[in-house]
Amino acid sequence: MMRRVLAYLAALVLGSAIGLGSALAMAGLWPSRGALAFGDVDVDGWRSDFAIGSEAADPYTRARVARHGLLALAKSEAVYFTRATDDAGRPLREGCRYRLSGGTMPAGWWSVTLYDARSMLADNTDGAASIDASRAGTGPWEALIADHRSTGAAHWISSRNAGTFDLTLRLYMPEPALLAQPSKTLVPPRVERLDCASEAAT
Amino acid sequence: MRRWIGPLAVLLLSAAGVHFAALELAPGVIMDRAMAKLAERGVGLHRFTAPQRITPQSQSVVRSSPDLYYALCRYDLSVPDKALALRMAAWRDYQSLSFFDARTDNFATLRGTGEAVEVRLLPPGSAPEEGAIVSPTARGVILIRRLAPDAESFAAAAKAGEGDRCAIEAARGG
Repeated sequence: MMRRVLAYLAALVLGSAIGLGSALAMAGLWPSRGALAFGDVDVDGWRSDFAIGSEAADPYTRARVARHGLLALAKSEAVYFTRATDDAGRPLREGCRYRLSGGTMPAGWWSVTLYDARSMLADNTDGAASIDASRAGTGPWEALIADHRSTGAAHWISSRNAGTFDLTLRLYMPEPALLAQPSKTLVPPRVERLDCASEAAT
Repeated sequence: MRRWIGPLAVLLLSAAGVHFAALELAPGVIMDRAMAKLAERGVGLHRFTAPQRITPQSQSVVRSSPDLYYALCRYDLSVPDKALALRMAAWRDYQSLSFFDARTDNFATLRGTGEAVEVRLLPPGSAPEEGAIVSPTARGVILIRRLAPDAESFAAAAKAGEGDRCAIEAARGG
């Protein structure tokens, strides 16, 4: 009798553990995953999740969005794209310089912001964490991503103290075509690696 | 073999039950924790915060934009016959008033580029009214964003923000 009770108890505990673990894993809540480990849209390496902020259809997406997109706007107002690699697929890091370039975006306002591995602005006092539509102006634009300002660069995004970092592209007031066909509508900024400190030293 | 059927059934049922219960509860738990953190950081109930410009030194929320002005107001409409009166004062550039319920859904956003926006937020289950939004849950967060990419425009946005309002008031007709 005792063994039978223990068997049921063990089944209950094991079943609950399997249920909890599988729910968290399938919703992307466990084991700990970065903000970049999800997304249903990919445009040239820039990833986004258009379910952010909305009442998504399935409970897995809902839980994932609650974790990664808290207080983010629904896609009719703003969409967010992120990338952590350059155009060649190499991780973005403080020791390298990059040319970020783009043109007009299909949105009322846009910005590109640099975040460190903790999803925070890099810990420096350079006052150069981003570039936005108001500073870039109309037409083609370029910004240098580096740990120090260089003469000749029209715009600078500081990677000082950023370590390994990523870039978030915000598109506010997106055009309907962007939401309907992101890959055909958005020409996202290019991220071209120029050189790295270790390469220069060798 | 038959003696294992009972425990096996318990295992499968408990796994399925806990699996779906965890998914159902997760958004509410995450929002609860976020609301508690906001309260700790001084985000008041039924009033907008007076925000600081987002810098590496002042940031407290992941992935905040240094180009935006953010003002937050927490609300709790579980008290009977109460509603929330909201005003987003005029701002020369992009601004929005967005509403997030206790399950993290962005259930409404009002854009107000160049103009003031006034709206009332009613408790769950209220009859629809003109000029009012019904909140899906009793508790939640309201967020004003203003485009302010430099120190000068941020100071101007903060000045405009003095006209913002998030205040509890008696529900009309109730």
